Amino acid sequence: MKKFVTLLLTVAMIMSLAICGGVSASADDVTIKVAAIETAYGSQVWADVAAAFEAETGIKVELTTDQNLEDVLTGPMQNGEFPDVVHLATGRPAGLTEQLVKANALYPLTDTLALTIPGEDVKVSDKIAGGFTDNNIVAPYGDGVTYMAPMFYSPCGLFYNEKLFAEKGWEVPTTWDEMWELGDKAAEEGIALFTYPTAGYYDAFMFALMNAIGGPEFFNAITTYEEGAWDSENGQTLLAILDKLASYTHPSTPAQANNQDFTKNQLMVMTNDALFMPNGTWITGEMAGALETLENDFAWGMTAVPAAGEAPYSFCWFEQAWIPAGAEHIAEAEQFVAFLYSDVAAEIFASAGAMQPILGIADMLEGENVLFYSIYDNGAKAAMGGFAAFGEIPGVDVSSTFFTPIDSLVAGTITIDDYAEQVKTNSAMMRDNLLG
Amino acid sequence: MKSNFRRTSFICLCVIPAVILFAIFMVAPTFNVFRLSLYQRSTFNPNEVFIGMKNFQMLMKDATFIRSMQNMLLLIVMVTVFTMATALVFAGILTREKIRGQSFFRVVFYIPNILSVVVISGIFSAIYDIDRGLLNSILNLFGAEGVLWKGEKHVIMSLVIAMVWQAIGYYMVMYMASMSAVPGSLYESAEIDGAERVTQFFQITIPLIWTNIRTTLTFFIISTINMAFLFVSAMTSGGPNNASNVALLYMYNQKNLGGGYGYAMAIGVVIFLVSFGLSALVNKVTERDILEY
Repeated sequence: MKKFVTLLLTVAMIMSLAICGGVSASADDVTIKVAAIETAYGSQVWADVAAAFEAETGIKVELTTDQNLEDVLTGPMQNGEFPDVVHLATGRPAGLTEQLVKANALYPLTDTLALTIPGEDVKVSDKIAGGFTDNNIVAPYGDGVTYMAPMFYSPCGLFYNEKLFAEKGWEVPTTWDEMWELGDKAAEEGIALFTYPTAGYYDAFMFALMNAIGGPEFFNAITTYEEGAWDSENGQTLLAILDKLASYTHPSTPAQANNQDFTKNQLMVMTNDALFMPNGTWITGEMAGALETLENDFAWGMTAVPAAGEAPYSFCWFEQAWIPAGAEHIAEAEQFVAFLYSDVAAEIFASAGAMQPILGIADMLEGENVLFYSIYDNGAKAAMGGFAAFGEIPGVDVSSTFFTPIDSLVAGTITIDDYAEQVKTNSAMMRDNLLG
Repeated sequence: MKSNFRRTSFICLCVIPAVILFAIFMVAPTFNVFRLSLYQRSTFNPNEVFIGMKNFQMLMKDATFIRSMQNMLLLIVMVTVFTMATALVFAGILTREKIRGQSFFRVVFYIPNILSVVVISGIFSAIYDIDRGLLNSILNLFGAEGVLWKGEKHVIMSLVIAMVWQAIGYYMVMYMASMSAVPGSLYESAEIDGAERVTQFFQITIPLIWTNIRTTLTFFIISTINMAFLFVSAMTSGGPNNASNVALLYMYNQKNLGGGYGYAMAIGVVIFLVSFGLSALVNKVTERDILEY
């Protein structure tokens, strides 16, 4: 009998051990799939952050980084195999995030923002800078629910050659009247006032310009396709500036405004063929190789889009991280998103120049970035958001409606009235198909 | 009777794997393209809503689609005409005339064909450069102003030049193969009759390789539709402002940005029918009695 009891106890002990072991093993064994776009910041930062997350939480990370992340993800996602966390940006040609917004396929991050960051005792929402979680990019349905976590941000503005301005004794314009004056002065010296890499770069520029003309109210009117917005006084000012700016744009620009030759347009600012171009802080890294070939003095300068009734504005461009609604390990994915805002992760990202919208991030800035990111301290206001999401309309999308026709406007093959007509017609269709 | 049955079943057995593969990978997807073109369906939302011919009605009103179809047809015509003319002339010269370094030229002409489109677009980006490009430098030498090769006015011509440059070698080799099969005695007797080189080319060479020319015409149509997508994606991204957009690129972009899968498939159906119709038309128009020698 005693032997039997001992045997029974032994079996019970082994079984309980096995069960406990099994439970703890399954918690440790969770592997989340993280997919991140590889940009100028490189892919090593993501490997480092994933390793730090594993060390902190014990949740394993299977990381995928790729320059064309959409090509890697689209096929499996159509078959229902979703990664748990995706880091990408809106406004890319493949429009993956936009498609998921249209398909209602993102997981709401309300709970994620309320999570305590792993390894810290601060909530995620307390760490993210104001305005980043309630704009119409991350809360696309207009119901105040955040679906994307704001990631690396970059102030966008007009970039120029500081040395040229110093040499000629020119002031950087803060209003559009000063801008045109400068344009005439530069033209006498054979320098064009303006160029742009591709027409797609007009997004950040136009968003800032709308704010500089009529403040956030006018910006919202245009980006929610309000009826009569383009016919309003502010709308007419916007069209007039776009028209005049097209005539001040370097004539070679549209012929080089494609994915293959856009750096030639960027080079025009460095070689003093054009004064300004709209761009983001990544430009310094992108054009670093061209510095050695320059024969003239050069140093990057950046200014906000000049005022036209309101203050100068600089658009704040940012990437986003999100959880697909079809993700397998939502709870662990939320932990990962929360961890992205930890001091450890922020430091890793900042070391590669990727700045997150975290309060106090300015202390981590280095080099030219100190100057660029201080744009908001120097009198420029921050513009944020984008065009409101709308359902599928055959043949109509934001870029080909508002931005790419700029190429034709500069080339002189369409007039500003043609542009206004197209913008108004398409805006009406977008208004009828608004999501949310 | 029995051996006939065995023979038939053996043939069936041999053919079945190919038929199955063909059905799964060719027939079914093509059928699906036609089916989806009647539906509204976004990329990540599996819900399909039947909308009949609405996608096609929208297409007829879509100015960018019409422009991209026009560009596609323009490229087909121009690339075919220029490539065929030059490839035929070069093939004629290289087979009939005795030139030094014949095989060297053959290799040189063929090289562009083995280069990747990305490399070719890189080469032409340098050739078309506005300030330091090869073409504008030559123009400047003669006092002419530089041309915006990738600007709205000239972008299609720039694509044609690159595509012709790439295709000549391939078709030249094809024409050379059939030209060398033409018996030399025909040319000799023509020469005795007093026919010049040009007359010989048009009266003997062209009629005798006509079957080959007809085959390559179908190749031209199909390959230009596909190659235009690659060249435009790599060289101009369809710009400036859709001036160089072609139907396949527009279809690809609509899948992502505009009308979703249904609309993109409707574009696919139109491209399919146009290329099919065009090939049939060309085939019919070029029908001749086959000359034997």
